[in-house]
Amino acid sequence: MDELRRFARELLLKKEVAAVIGYEQVGEARTRPVVITDPDECRRLVLNEYCLNNLVVYLNRARIKALARSKEGIRKLAVVAKPCDIRSIVALIQENQIRRENLMILSMNCHGVVRDFGCEFNGDNLAAKCISCNTQSSTYADKSFGEVREIPKFTGKLEYDLSEIEQLPPSKRMEFFREQFDKCIKCYACRAVCPLCYCQRCITDKTIPRWIESSSHSRGNFAWNIVRALHLSGRCTGCGECERACPMDIPLSLLNRKMAMKSKELFGYESGKSTDNPTLVGSYDQKDSDELFM
Amino acid sequence: MTEEKLILKEDLLRICDDVIKKGDTLLAPGKSEYVIVKDVSEIKLDPEALPTKISFKSYVFPKSEPVLYYKRSKNDVTLIDADVNGRKIVVLGAKPCDTGSIDIMKDLFNWDYRDEFFNLRAKHFIMIGMMCKTHDEYCFCTSVGCSPVSENGSDLFLIPLSDKEFALRIVTEKGREFIEPYFRFLCDADTKRTEEVLSAAKNPETAFDPDEVHEWLGRNFESPKWDGIGEVCLSCAQCAFACPVCHCFDIVDEDYSYSEGRRMKNWDGCQFGHFTLHASGHNPRDIQSKRYRQRINHKFRYYVDKFGKILCTGCGRCSRGCPVSIDIKEIVSNCKD
Amino acid sequence: MDNKEKHIENGWEPKIVAFVCNWCTYAGADLAGTSRLKYPANMKIIRVMCSGAVDPVFILKAFERGADGVLVSGCHPNDCHYNAGNFHARRRWDLFHALLDFAGIEKERLQFSWISASEGKKFADVVTKITNDIKMIGPFKGYQEMNRQFTTEFPEQEKEKLVQQCTEAEAVNG
Repeated sequence: MDELRRFARELLLKKEVAAVIGYEQVGEARTRPVVITDPDECRRLVLNEYCLNNLVVYLNRARIKALARSKEGIRKLAVVAKPCDIRSIVALIQENQIRRENLMILSMNCHGVVRDFGCEFNGDNLAAKCISCNTQSSTYADKSFGEVREIPKFTGKLEYDLSEIEQLPPSKRMEFFREQFDKCIKCYACRAVCPLCYCQRCITDKTIPRWIESSSHSRGNFAWNIVRALHLSGRCTGCGECERACPMDIPLSLLNRKMAMKSKELFGYESGKSTDNPTLVGSYDQKDSDELFM
Repeated sequence: MTEEKLILKEDLLRICDDVIKKGDTLLAPGKSEYVIVKDVSEIKLDPEALPTKISFKSYVFPKSEPVLYYKRSKNDVTLIDADVNGRKIVVLGAKPCDTGSIDIMKDLFNWDYRDEFFNLRAKHFIMIGMMCKTHDEYCFCTSVGCSPVSENGSDLFLIPLSDKEFALRIVTEKGREFIEPYFRFLCDADTKRTEEVLSAAKNPETAFDPDEVHEWLGRNFESPKWDGIGEVCLSCAQCAFACPVCHCFDIVDEDYSYSEGRRMKNWDGCQFGHFTLHASGHNPRDIQSKRYRQRINHKFRYYVDKFGKILCTGCGRCSRGCPVSIDIKEIVSNCKD
Repeated sequence: MDNKEKHIENGWEPKIVAFVCNWCTYAGADLAGTSRLKYPANMKIIRVMCSGAVDPVFILKAFERGADGVLVSGCHPNDCHYNAGNFHARRRWDLFHALLDFAGIEKERLQFSWISASEGKKFADVVTKITNDIKMIGPFKGYQEMNRQFTTEFPEQEKEKLVQQCTEAEAVNG
């Protein structure tokens, strides 16, 4: 942690980066994203099991981008990212949203994070995405901090099991999802925290014509949640932020995970793995299956 | 008119059962929200539970409701009013930081226009508040004039004396009317014991003085403090939608077909970028720092100026649920020189 | 009595919306007409410039407005007027179909085909097949129920009342 603080301070002192986006501790079991431009403020930076947020979301914010702009041109932004968050960076680079050369990625060697703020870090409270994690450190980053330690074995219980839901008959599945989506209050926290939801104007905010109803009745909620999942299919890197941010506890990552599985099954594509590949939905292959088509 | 009685938990549940059997709606705090109780065995009545993730606001001010139905013909538009029949809703075990919320919102909904929908629903609410015996680092009810033992807004107020007994205070005439048929369940109270429990309430520390905040906000509209928050906040409306007193709404028309449809009233939140977007394309609150400033100013300054009430109950929901851990208590406490 | 007969006995006819491409399938549909081929009249055709131009929200909107089934049809692979429109569409539909399937919308509700301008017969066959498929599974109850709902947190009776009101309003409105 001290190493990170020193390194970040150096970066800012040497003016190599315009700002450092990192985590600061607030309370015992909670961190908050922080944007640091003053080298002395770097002592606020922390790295621990409570660094839940995917800070990549900030890279596409107009306000943060404005920080990087200067008279001499665009300066770099340093971002603290867990190895799984780096997948979102890769996905954004693939989609030409950010450039690698404008970034300084400070990675953290990760041994898992908690499922939500306020929980004690142990096997019971391990975040779902960490259960089968195999990228505890990243080679894509400019520099990694912290030691690699073993992720605790997951001893908790997941509320929803993807394979169980897959086995339900269609009408039951629809009932299940409708019940879940009915809880939605359309606060759009899922959209706000998602690093890949970067549209300047979301389709749901467009009013002429209004494709997705802004009312949060069953129909509007169903449309919004399906379209959100669709727009992320083949793109979602599984950071799980949407589900964590949801105040109504809708299991949003079920849909995202299912779609990630499908993209792998149908096209052998995994999002955020390599910047060399074109994106899944932005490209095509003449040899794609014709099975669905009469 | 406060009158105190003693009631056993099992008798209280019997009353609840009767409420459900009569077909009235009984709300109680559930896992993450207030839920409609179908069976009394679901009722927990835990004074040590933290506030639910969202308040019961949606039962008095639904997240989405039709206002009218319309049909267009060649030269004419026919309108049909949506009619609201307020039904009796009994809220059991509401936190003191929730019970006062309807009174706070009432001023707004009866200001330049009397909102029938809100008033009718509010009129039929029976609020059974309960003393709160816990707080966490996000609670600050004592800073905004509420407290864990506040009876403000409650029709009946419960004070848990033990696991099995409650002291029941009859606060309003509405509360008395509700409890009158069940008087046989009530026995005389031991006010001394109640006072003991009340005085042992764990008050969250006072974090700020609302008058000072009000004064500071008036002077610091352009303070650079807002910029820092604007960088971190991601512009979702979790804070507004979870808030028991945030009341902004949006009116949209929804078509069934080309010629007919309905007009809906939906929740809206001031943190959305398009909340203040004008048809011309101009947006007076174009960046997040301005939007967050609006949120704080509205709660602690504008509403106070207009209605003499703070638009905040100190429940801490917005901070607890914020995806990026922005803490309203911390921000408002820093509203000083 | 099987499902199909049951639904038909009630006098129910499915509503099917087809999004077809201007260059191939629409011409194919024309050919089916000029060749006087017979096919069910349940299909409502919407002509778009390319199967790749069909946004998935069009399909959701069709379901919202009461469609029981949707067909998207375009040129055969390699025949696209815009070279690659249908290739892009193919990937998108694979994903969208998988998503809707997971969300519990029966596979038969949303179908895809490649029909060229010369395949009038195929067009008639596809329409017949889809109509039969939808007749088998019956009206799209799942979505139609959603259409009738307003708010979720309202007590059951209130909801019923609102639904009734809405139905009345609809009745008044014709």
